[in-house]
Amino acid sequence: MKLGASKPLSTIRALELSEIWAGPFCGCLMGDMGAEIIKVESIQRIGRGPINPPSNAGGYPDDDPGNDPWNRQSNFNAINRNKKSLTLDLKTEQGLNAFKDLVSQSDIVFCNYARTVMENFGLSYDEVRKIKPDIIYMLMPGYGNTGPYADYRSMGMAIDAITGHSFLRGYPDMDHSSNSLVHHPDAVAATNGVMAIASALVHRTKTGEGQFIDMSQAESFMTHLGEIYLENQMQSFSRQRRGNRHPDFAPQGVYKCSGEDNWIAISIKSEADWSKFKATVANNHLNSDVFDTLSGRQQNHDQIDKIINEWTYSQDRYDVLNRLQSDEITSGVVLDCGADSYADPHLNERDFFQIVEHPSAGIYPMTGPIFKFESSNGHVIHNPAPCLGQDNMYVLKEVLGYGNDKITQFEANEIIGTVPLPGSDMGGSRRVAK
Amino acid sequence: MPFGALEEIIVLDLSDRLAASFCAKTLGLYGCEVIKVESLEGDPLRQWTSPTQNGQVDDSPIFLHLNAGKKSISMDLHSKKGQSLLADLMKVSDVVIESQKPGHWEEKGLSYNQIKNINPSIIFTSVTPYGQTGPYKNFAYDELTLFAMTGAMNREGLPDREPLRYAGEIAQYFAGNAAAAATASTLFKRTLTGEGDWLDISIQECMAGHPHQIGRRAPYIYAGEPDPRSQPRTSASGAREPYAVGTFRCKDGYFSFLPLGPRMWPNIAKMINREDLMTHPKYDDTIKRSENKDELEAIFQAWLNDKTREEIFKAVQAAGVPGSPILQPEEVHKNEQFIARDFFQDVTHPNGQTLRMTGDPFRLSNTANSQIEPAPTLGQNTTQVLQNLLQMSYDEIETLTTEKII
Repeated sequence: MKLGASKPLSTIRALELSEIWAGPFCGCLMGDMGAEIIKVESIQRIGRGPINPPSNAGGYPDDDPGNDPWNRQSNFNAINRNKKSLTLDLKTEQGLNAFKDLVSQSDIVFCNYARTVMENFGLSYDEVRKIKPDIIYMLMPGYGNTGPYADYRSMGMAIDAITGHSFLRGYPDMDHSSNSLVHHPDAVAATNGVMAIASALVHRTKTGEGQFIDMSQAESFMTHLGEIYLENQMQSFSRQRRGNRHPDFAPQGVYKCSGEDNWIAISIKSEADWSKFKATVANNHLNSDVFDTLSGRQQNHDQIDKIINEWTYSQDRYDVLNRLQSDEITSGVVLDCGADSYADPHLNERDFFQIVEHPSAGIYPMTGPIFKFESSNGHVIHNPAPCLGQDNMYVLKEVLGYGNDKITQFEANEIIGTVPLPGSDMGGSRRVAK
Repeated sequence: MPFGALEEIIVLDLSDRLAASFCAKTLGLYGCEVIKVESLEGDPLRQWTSPTQNGQVDDSPIFLHLNAGKKSISMDLHSKKGQSLLADLMKVSDVVIESQKPGHWEEKGLSYNQIKNINPSIIFTSVTPYGQTGPYKNFAYDELTLFAMTGAMNREGLPDREPLRYAGEIAQYFAGNAAAAATASTLFKRTLTGEGDWLDISIQECMAGHPHQIGRRAPYIYAGEPDPRSQPRTSASGAREPYAVGTFRCKDGYFSFLPLGPRMWPNIAKMINREDLMTHPKYDDTIKRSENKDELEAIFQAWLNDKTREEIFKAVQAAGVPGSPILQPEEVHKNEQFIARDFFQDVTHPNGQTLRMTGDPFRLSNTANSQIEPAPTLGQNTTQVLQNLLQMSYDEIETLTTEKII
């Protein structure tokens, strides 16, 4: 154990068996905090987007999948920073034994596949703890590891639906079938996964004990909706969809500015805000007594929105933002995940983007780690996502001490490799042609 | 009863906004003793959307949720004596969580760099909308305006309408959760090294660094792919099986589907008892199914129309099609899965009302599940905290009370 290491998890090695969002982001956050994350993959089954043929919407550098599209996929490379990649065929005895050898050198195993995947490899918690009694082991299926839904398939969409969040989102004046397909909850299991593992590490330091972490992605997200469940018990009516409005504030909304698809969000949170805002907009229609109370503004919200839109429509969004913020009026511009965020002065000043040189994808500014620590002067490390099997030699030779003969045999038997085998493509699960 | 994993850790919760308050609450669920330090007027969230309109200030649902299990001490933080008392508390605490504008604590002599002189191993977690530095650091914010700045809002809603926020206070909760994870990780390091740290957590960055946002930013920077809002039967990553993607009405509500790619087509066809369509020349490949999606959607919708969410949920699980019923919020705590797992806990509040509250976001096998306690009334634990943590005498506490410091 490296005492005095500068990052919170520098002393830790974790084995990640994960794909899509929840598990990979959990590993990403731990990697950001210094843990050695070994992503255990295989050349038999590849979870790095469609490769045969590569999708023409895969977000490859300059739309070129290259000869190794599995190393160039944008989603994968974005969410797997600060990790190592090991390939192992866990369906073979040699591969399984190597994994078990690695367990004995590791602190954490975590997996976001269906609950029974690890068990079917012979790698249940009970098996793994025989090798490493103080291992911390986390499974994170959608609905948790027990109960009638323990083996139900799920993903972010399912969690959003079953927790009630889907019911409350969307435009209040439209049917739910207009709801968007972006689903936030996967990532909540990731932040809670780090919280769980860190707590278990503290416990291990004090007691020497490892433990099993039962992460339900649904329950994890439900703690973010706690007040909504309470409202339904405390009042005689239940919450309906609100769009961009909140019952404590008015006016509140997202208003069109000059340019294509440019918007500003504004919240008037007090009577003092309202006075300042009226003076700024300088439209006599807003001076009506009817608007002098919160309830008056709420009852006439659509009318006020129309006046605000007339005011914002021809203005630059940043000009409106700076003017409102100079009066301490709550406001924000709507930034997209493309040009807008890369151009945003605040994100740039805080070094939110890091120039990353990826051996196959090339040099690009990628989204950086989200935690800043005084002990490292706010500096964060962003190593590129690993190429498939990039760290096979490091793990087998340096961590496990395997000899060259054994490693040659592993290669010959396709236990390890750096190129996916024919038939390993899981198809266009992530993206399909435009 | 086994101990919580973070037992014996004292957290001073100085938060007056959601994200930092949730950070402290989450740490409390795993054994930290969370002491909520409030002004004499109390946390502003005590009065937020109070539903019962009965003049009580402690019955706001969001306050009750965020502060369940915390202890409350209230003090005059404007006075020198109050600030000195807070410094004494910081000296004996392990973690401080705060949400004030950058520079606020420095003026009072209570910033991380000042406090670490009297408590070198303190962990100081700042959870603010835009972080401690940069041109937006003092911006006024709420969920709506902050969510706008994260990249998430731009994709929520329809292409020809205004972008939308999510329904809950999602960005703030997410950042609070991330802050708890970073704080717990730093606590682990401290158990090895004794070192404290100052964590600068920006809510904007947490949500802008959410996988869905970084997953959109990467194709933009790699290949110039734009990031627009899209129609409901498509998604930013392309139409999958577009006739069966998204939210659909059924007999008793709505159901969400997200079939991932063409390999789902046979599963869907079997599920709706239309295996004949699999070889139909209009539908036998993914491009044709996209071209004829309206016809297929009508067939799919017809199958859904006379089925309840429960019936469809069984069918999707049997067929291996990703799908889930959309529950109304009041249905969630009656759902069989959450009942079977005892996720919600009945908590009796000081006003006598028993409420079902959310429990642990995850469970550790060797440490205790939390027993959720109600949120404290303002200053409920002032005397107890001063006696236990600062060993103050009854007379000293009485003097502070008379001077209106506490």
